[in-house]
Amino acid sequence: MSDKTWTPGDDVILVQRGPEPGGAGGAYRAFGETLRGLKTTFARMVEGPQTIQYPEEKTPVFPRFRGRHRLHRFEDSGLEKCVGCSLCAAACPADCIRVVAAENTPENRVSAGERYAAVYEINLSRCIFCGYCEVACPFDAITMGHDYELSDYSRSDLIFTKEMLLAEPLDRTPLRAEGE
Amino acid sequence: MPRPEVNMVTLTIDGREVSAPENVMLVDGAKYGDVEIPVFCYEPKLGQPVGACRMCLVEVEGIPKLQTGCSTPVKDGMVVHTQTQRVKDAQEAVVEFLLINHPLDCPVCDKGGECPLQDISFGWGGGRSRFVEPKRHFEKPLALSPLIAIDRERCILCYRCVRFSQEVSEDYQLVLAARTADTYVATFDGHPYVAPFSGNIIELCPVGALTSRPYRFRARPWDIEGSGSVCTLCPSQCNVELTVRDERVLRVISRVHEEVDDGWLCDKGRFAYQAIHVDERITQPLVREGGTLRGVSWERALDEAARGLSRAGSASAALAGGETTNEEGFLLQRLTREAVGSAHMDSRAGGSLPVELHAALGAPVLQATVPDLQYAHAILVLDTEPVDDMPIVDLRIRKGVRRNRVKLAVATSRPSSLDRNAAVSVRYAPGCGEAFVAALNAALGGEEKNFAELVAAAGTTAEGVRAVADLLAGAGGTGGPGDVVILWGERLTHGRRGAAAARGLLNVAGHLALAGREGAGLLEVPAGTNGRGLREVGVLPRIGPGMAQVASPGALGAAGIRDGLAAGELSAVHLLHVDPLADLSGRAAWKRGLEAATTVVAHSAFLTEGLREHATVIFPAESYAEKEGTVTHPDGRVQRLRPAIGHPGEVRPGWQVLAELMKRAGHDPGVLTGAMVSRRLFEAVGMYAGLTLEELGGRGVRWPARAQAAAWPQADLGPFGLESPPAAPSPNGELRLGTFRSIWAGPAVGASPALRFLVPKVRVEMAPADAQRRNVTHGDHVTLGADGSAVEATVMLRDAVPEGTVFMETNALDPGLVDVRKAPPESRR
Repeated sequence: MSDKTWTPGDDVILVQRGPEPGGAGGAYRAFGETLRGLKTTFARMVEGPQTIQYPEEKTPVFPRFRGRHRLHRFEDSGLEKCVGCSLCAAACPADCIRVVAAENTPENRVSAGERYAAVYEINLSRCIFCGYCEVACPFDAITMGHDYELSDYSRSDLIFTKEMLLAEPLDRTPLRAEGE
Repeated sequence: MPRPEVNMVTLTIDGREVSAPENVMLVDGAKYGDVEIPVFCYEPKLGQPVGACRMCLVEVEGIPKLQTGCSTPVKDGMVVHTQTQRVKDAQEAVVEFLLINHPLDCPVCDKGGECPLQDISFGWGGGRSRFVEPKRHFEKPLALSPLIAIDRERCILCYRCVRFSQEVSEDYQLVLAARTADTYVATFDGHPYVAPFSGNIIELCPVGALTSRPYRFRARPWDIEGSGSVCTLCPSQCNVELTVRDERVLRVISRVHEEVDDGWLCDKGRFAYQAIHVDERITQPLVREGGTLRGVSWERALDEAARGLSRAGSASAALAGGETTNEEGFLLQRLTREAVGSAHMDSRAGGSLPVELHAALGAPVLQATVPDLQYAHAILVLDTEPVDDMPIVDLRIRKGVRRNRVKLAVATSRPSSLDRNAAVSVRYAPGCGEAFVAALNAALGGEEKNFAELVAAAGTTAEGVRAVADLLAGAGGTGGPGDVVILWGERLTHGRRGAAAARGLLNVAGHLALAGREGAGLLEVPAGTNGRGLREVGVLPRIGPGMAQVASPGALGAAGIRDGLAAGELSAVHLLHVDPLADLSGRAAWKRGLEAATTVVAHSAFLTEGLREHATVIFPAESYAEKEGTVTHPDGRVQRLRPAIGHPGEVRPGWQVLAELMKRAGHDPGVLTGAMVSRRLFEAVGMYAGLTLEELGGRGVRWPARAQAAAWPQADLGPFGLESPPAAPSPNGELRLGTFRSIWAGPAVGASPALRFLVPKVRVEMAPADAQRRNVTHGDHVTLGADGSAVEATVMLRDAVPEGTVFMETNALDPGLVDVRKAPPESRR
């Protein structure tokens, strides 16, 4: 850079200055523009409230919504579908699933295969709800449910055990009707 | 047979020039050109290929049909294609055929995720099947043995397990039964497959047909971490990989090291990891209060131990067991010599040798390596049973004999499992190793004068000794002396006459010109895992770190310590990973000694008999999966232990406990980490000078091959004049007793739930003729020995046991003459 006078190139941006405050123009800008904005507010007011009284009311979700996971049993035999193969844990990008398998015995038959999940835990504070576990599962034992109410007072309470995942959710989240 | 020379040939694979060693199989040769040919049945460790799976089909120009790459050796100028449509079609067809009967139960299969069949189906398979008929069905899952589960539906009949049983471990138990698609793997007699090396077939199986029962469904490959270390359960020191999940060791697999273990593991090494995580383990310091052991704080236990040892001063002694690392041994000898002020210490199970004999037997020029066993002209197995004392070496000897036509001579008192493979096997009376070596020395030296006398003293036959001598002397054929490896057990040099036996052995080595000969020499089988390392770091009376002579005239060895304690001359004893009642000879005398001792400080992971009754302070010991440090292999390889898991409970590192004791006794060793102890050790031991933990790495370093081996003291390698050895006791109505220690000895086996069924019952091996004479039969309860130390045992008839001799796994009785009587009926259990 030489010490001669600097000549701006093409990349110079000229800043447009706003009008000076005060006067009629100033008064319009203070009230006129505000009223223009309020027009939208008052126009919507007549439509009635759009908010939902959560938690008394809940937003319905689409059937494909990926909420809290559920584990399933066979309807006829009551055996767990999960055989503890750990493929969900392998697929999980957030590393939030822990499976410890064990062997079925004639006295203690838990699943249909040779093995079952003795421990099945999902750390929902880590889960990113990507649904890869559902895709990976060879037995459709785990699916993404519709629950999205996942807050608790401590992090450890967000580690869902097998019993919690197998249980029917208490409050079923409403499903969005067709075309809604 | 000496190591073969390697000539390189050039061939073309997939259009690229590849240079590979001559006569290797195409599958291996292709790897030199980074071409992978898929295989199931091919495994070079198992010997000759069988070509059973047909997965390795390749196209070789000039041969009309596709060839199996696993059984076609590379030749100069060969042109091979592995990527043509013909080859691809064949590979897809083979995978489709293999999957016809293979169940698609990967989610429940334990092999899932580490399964060659999965990988190859994914990589080389067609991804579809036209087979709609029902698959073959077998009952499953079945237990092939208490350790191995077999799922016959998953078997692809690759023969690997059968070949292992038939050609590597040579237990000849596994066979393929029935024919065609109904073929299945079974033991020939339907009994469980129980053998010392059975676990290897789990690792060999390329599908999930053979799985480990203790590891069954424990974890998936993505749940686990592998952590390399060295198994310290026996002197083989196999390189292992510990499978760790959630701070627990779940499995042990081989970390193949050709120079050490050849990729095999024994079942003790493979399954005794379970003892790491059992409730019986001691995880907090214990102090005896009013007759019972109570858990106390570390401070209290350390204070109490330091006070007890310091108070005894020169009347205290230290013993180190085989599992002690070099670092712990080094600190123990410093603690005992410098801080406590005592010269009494030992790491050998029985009897001391003078320093010059230790120096001669361990001289770098006389050392053979483990691979030498495989390429020698001849091997002499002397006074050791490899399968019990150093199991992996047993497989190495079998490999040498089977594949390289190594001539094997076995000279032991107890019938050996290697007898079938031996060109010559000769028995002598138990405890008469010295006389046998002297007789062999006479035969090799052509001394006829007192040869017959020596043969009689050894309780052996002249023809046997001459046959061994001829085999060893003529090993090289017409080309002069051959490469002879003498695998000798430390037991040979135990006892009062140990030094004489060692001199005899050195004379034999001298006759065979083993010194300085590449591929030949002596290989000692120590009684403890790290016997060699502990010797080199100076845990011996009168020998300090680096085999330096320590001027301490009255220093006592193990036997002296035992008698000193019993006589009240010594009052304190420090037991590092050793329980004299279980591990050392002279059990009754040790009992008296420990009873008389005022302070017994022990480091142990388990409350074994001697410690439960006699220890005053017990520090919880680490398992080998938690240890940090180095151990030395019997052939001089310094290997590194790395911690795989954290310490359970309040367990602290062994070096730290010893350093704390030194501090309390007023001699701060100034070490803050395990690596610092290793550094101090490498500085203090001349042969290890300049070693670093980084240099040891995962494979270890053989110090006799380093320049620093010159620091080994100069030794006189003989020849020595031999005195005449004492004669074998003549069995005058009584029987000669020989003792041994089985592979399944030690607390780790008993504490592992999976291995518990192998814990040996107290058995006495007898010749049928002797049993008949005493009117006992197989399975009878008998008592042996004098009234003071009588032992009960179950009779096991064994044809190979020489008449007039019995063998028993015990340290309660010393070898000598015993009487075997039927036990009174009320004592039967």
